[in-house]
Amino acid sequence: MKLPLSWMRDFVSVDAPVEEISRRLSFAGLVVEHVEKLTPGFAGVFAARVLNVEKHPNADRLNLVEVDAGEKGKFKVVCGAPNVKAGMTAPLALVGAQLGKEPPLQAAVIRGVQSEGMLCSERELGLSQDHAGILALGADAPLGGAVAAYLHLDDVVLDVEITPNRGDCLSILGLAREVAALFGGRLRAPRLRAAPSGDAHDGAGFAVAVSIDAPDLCPRYAALAMTGIKLGPSPAWLKRRLELCGMRALNNVVDATNYVMLELGQPLHAFDYAKIAGGKIVVRRAGETREFVTLDNLTRTLDPNDLLIADPDKPLAIAGVMGGLNSEVSDATTTILLESAYFEPMTVARTSRRLGLRSEASYRFERGIDRAGQVGALIRAAELIRKIARGREASPIADFEPRKAEPREIALDLGAMESLLGASIPPTVARSRLKSLGAQVSTRGKGILAVVPPSFRSDLVEQADLIEEVARLGGLEDIPARLPERLSALAPVNREREFITGTREVMLGCGLTEAATIAFIAPADNARFSGIQIAARPVKVTNPLSAELSELRVSLMPGLVTSLRFNLNREARSFHAFEMGKVFRMDGDIATEHNHLASVSYGPYAISAIGDQSIAAGFFTMKGILETWFDAIGISSHISFKAIEPADAPFLHPGRSAIVSLDDTQVGLIGELHPAEAMRLDLNEPCAVFELDLSSLISYGFSPRKTFEPPPKFPTIRRDLALVLDRNFPADMVVKTIRDCGASLLESVEVFDVYEGTAVAAGKKSVALACRYRAKDRTLTDEEVNRIHAVLIEQARMRLGAELRQ
Amino acid sequence: MKEQLEEIRRRAMAELSDDASEAQIDAVRVRVLGRSGELTEIMRGMREVPNAERPAIGQLINQIKREVEARIEALTEKLKAASLTKSLNEKRLDVTLPGMRIARGHIHPITDILEQMLAIFESMGFEVAMTQDIEDDFHNFAALNFQPHHPARDMQDTFYVDGGMLLRTHTSNGQIRVMEKRRPPLAVVCPGRCYRRDDLSVRASPMFTQIEGFMVDKRGRITMAHLKGVLTEFVRAFFGTTAVRFRSSYFPFTEPSAELDMHCLLCDGAGCPVCKHSGWTEVLGCGMIHPNVMRAVEYNPDEFQGFAFGMGVERTGLLKLRVDDMRLFFENDLRFLNQFPALSGGVR
Ligand SMILES: [Zn+2]
Repeated sequence: MKLPLSWMRDFVSVDAPVEEISRRLSFAGLVVEHVEKLTPGFAGVFAARVLNVEKHPNADRLNLVEVDAGEKGKFKVVCGAPNVKAGMTAPLALVGAQLGKEPPLQAAVIRGVQSEGMLCSERELGLSQDHAGILALGADAPLGGAVAAYLHLDDVVLDVEITPNRGDCLSILGLAREVAALFGGRLRAPRLRAAPSGDAHDGAGFAVAVSIDAPDLCPRYAALAMTGIKLGPSPAWLKRRLELCGMRALNNVVDATNYVMLELGQPLHAFDYAKIAGGKIVVRRAGETREFVTLDNLTRTLDPNDLLIADPDKPLAIAGVMGGLNSEVSDATTTILLESAYFEPMTVARTSRRLGLRSEASYRFERGIDRAGQVGALIRAAELIRKIARGREASPIADFEPRKAEPREIALDLGAMESLLGASIPPTVARSRLKSLGAQVSTRGKGILAVVPPSFRSDLVEQADLIEEVARLGGLEDIPARLPERLSALAPVNREREFITGTREVMLGCGLTEAATIAFIAPADNARFSGIQIAARPVKVTNPLSAELSELRVSLMPGLVTSLRFNLNREARSFHAFEMGKVFRMDGDIATEHNHLASVSYGPYAISAIGDQSIAAGFFTMKGILETWFDAIGISSHISFKAIEPADAPFLHPGRSAIVSLDDTQVGLIGELHPAEAMRLDLNEPCAVFELDLSSLISYGFSPRKTFEPPPKFPTIRRDLALVLDRNFPADMVVKTIRDCGASLLESVEVFDVYEGTAVAAGKKSVALACRYRAKDRTLTDEEVNRIHAVLIEQARMRLGAELRQ
Repeated sequence: MKEQLEEIRRRAMAELSDDASEAQIDAVRVRVLGRSGELTEIMRGMREVPNAERPAIGQLINQIKREVEARIEALTEKLKAASLTKSLNEKRLDVTLPGMRIARGHIHPITDILEQMLAIFESMGFEVAMTQDIEDDFHNFAALNFQPHHPARDMQDTFYVDGGMLLRTHTSNGQIRVMEKRRPPLAVVCPGRCYRRDDLSVRASPMFTQIEGFMVDKRGRITMAHLKGVLTEFVRAFFGTTAVRFRSSYFPFTEPSAELDMHCLLCDGAGCPVCKHSGWTEVLGCGMIHPNVMRAVEYNPDEFQGFAFGMGVERTGLLKLRVDDMRLFFENDLRFLNQFPALSGGVR
């Protein structure tokens, strides 16, 4: 809301400098975003009345004009403007006047006649490009007074951000009231009285009848007919005020309604009375009416619940949103019907949002206007229209209020206020702050105030609202800062957070840098990187920013791969990163979210010393990271890796990838990107990736902290074993089978070598294993171990169908 | 014979000088101690020595033998040590060459900032609760006193998704989720991602991180003065400044509502282009929890009260790290990320 201080000063006198006004408003929740100090483009120009106009003796198109500039004196000037006539008030530039960047005005002799000054057009004053005639000032312009001041050209305009709860501050009067309350000034609210009915309005009798069929949406509707209207431009001062507030001047009638809206906050609408059948207004829901042409000449589709202003035959306006083309005020209009109504915020908000039609009026209705301000605004508008459009009231004010505002009285318990704020505010101070906002305050009992909020503060509903007002006007600086006593009980351990933080530590330690990517991705990326669940259905965004961001990721992989490419394009040699974040998928028709951990690793991983071979990222460096992590969180023994089938993850290398399972549940994938995918990304080295569902690991409920077992007291004895097996037989199955043989005293089995080559048959490999035996209570003898091991070898060979390699 | 022995000893010791070479030492060993060396020869001639002298001569032979052996051993040790020193010196490393390593990863700045914040709040007795990103209207809006169609909803442009849900526009849903399940006293911070319909740009991102905090207890136990105390302490701990101010503001879910400003970190309050010459920067929004929020989670507003606050982590990060472009947080440019520590926040 733009607040020209000159306009504000119509209602309140404040001596404080602009900076102080804007500071206090800002601290009270009305943030002044910008202060604009205006300067007029001229000086030495005064208001003067034209007394007499006669033809220039030597020039047809020029006149000799005598003007009266009050205490500045009377002057004779030569004037060529066609609109100059006796009785008008116009700006007079005297000798020495400064007009824009021109040199100071000098006395001149024009066609043999001395001119003592110049009557100015808007263009000469730098107000507009209008040079058709001299500027007509209002009759109220003080003669001899500076035109710059009269036109408010030396104004200061505050741009105030109005929060959605403060509809009452969407007016000059509302902001003036705040300023008065903040500075302890007295508010001079305009005294609005209707012209005495009967004699003031035209005897011709323009009937105004109102029928409100939807009192739930429109509790009050007031209207007034005015006739004798002469549509034309508004006076300069009024145009100027509209423009300072960011509105464009159109014609005197529309300008007058806008002026009143800006001043008092009540939106008004002017209909062409001649277009209203029988002068009868019906306020109703759209119902069967499906379409309506608004005054921007667009056909709007209506919802049955939209509120319409109609006559008995047809709709005339969408209530509070926009008028109709069929009843628009035009040059031919002589009689108007002025509407001043209260529409429920919700109905205006719903309709204007649905139609995408936002106007200054709908903006105010949505935020709640003064529940009781309708008649006053009509009176103010009539007064203006009389003055600037020659209108006369043609009817009494028709005021219908089928649903009265419920009286609101709120009890304010001063003790409760103190215990909410943690500061004590004297009752007299609280009382005077509330009164300065227009509330009626009385004492109801000990420490209790009975507060009736003013009609324009629909946001004040309960005690907390009043406490806020009292605190706000005093400034929050008055409230001390204290630390609370500690809460009595310790917070429960947050296992999820512990897990996430611990996981991050391991990943960082394994050389992965933490990345963050945006959850919105392109459908093509979701299709390409299907994530852990191959058939996961992506969650679609109903109102995406763009097609490229129209789905939520089912996998963290696309984001990480994009980041890899981003870095390689910027000369990076390697990229080892992980991300912990949410992925999304449809579960039936419910959108679900899952915490994932994923990583991309590309380029040299273990950097060697100069002269040695570096280790490049690949399946086994990645697997090593996962194993380190599984160890760290204590679940290694529940984890298994199984070679993927190509259909499991088409984006992974079919021969160098695995499914990761926790017990028997798949929790993730690990592998190298499929060469086709790598080629698409223009990668020329293997790119290793993994992705895991953290949610299922977190909910697994393991505990990394076990009870203590003493270190063994007796040594192990190692016996090796080499088995020749099919090339594709997984090593972990070998280990598992040997363990399952159940040899007593066998403590561990470990693969220490795998050999393929000329010493074994084609399609075969030799797996060498180290078996370690230990007893808890004694040192084992060679003979004892040899006996157990011989049995084990025989069993393993049989169960695996393997040959022993010597 | 005795003289002969003394002569052997004298000559051997003279030849086993401090700078004797390995060859010289060997020569002495062979000549004196060898199988057919001088001492062996004399032993053989012992038969000719009178019985009475034999023990003395024998002793002398042994003594000379021990002396020469000891001397040879000492010299040999010395030679070995010298040759080791020499060879070690020849194989010196260039210690200035880079080491072999698996580089430690770098923590993401958003995490870093977030963890530092959480550590401060945890030390003040807050617990951390994680809540959901996909939300329903009730938990993101209605329970937080956003009326249907109310213009306050326009303050946050919402993403809607399949299944009639939305992406939370703030972490304030955490307040509702936690309060629904538990009873006061509560002191909780809820970090998480939020989503609003803003294009990714220097100033904004469609996904960002917030931290919501709240404290609720019996009426009078948690006041607006405590809100000011806790947040002032937070700003002091996190930014290192005590120059803060509270301005009245509006949020549907708090009342009174306030905004917390602190002295601009660049100009320390003097005014500069970054703070638009005001000397202040906005840090967070806060207020006393609105009675309608209490009602939504079935707390009696006459019995309980508390405060809540919320702040943007990226925004705060921009201030503290002096990062000037929001996009840097989501591009994962290593040249950016590598500037952040390889230790998690909160530790420092
Ligand atoms: Zn600054």
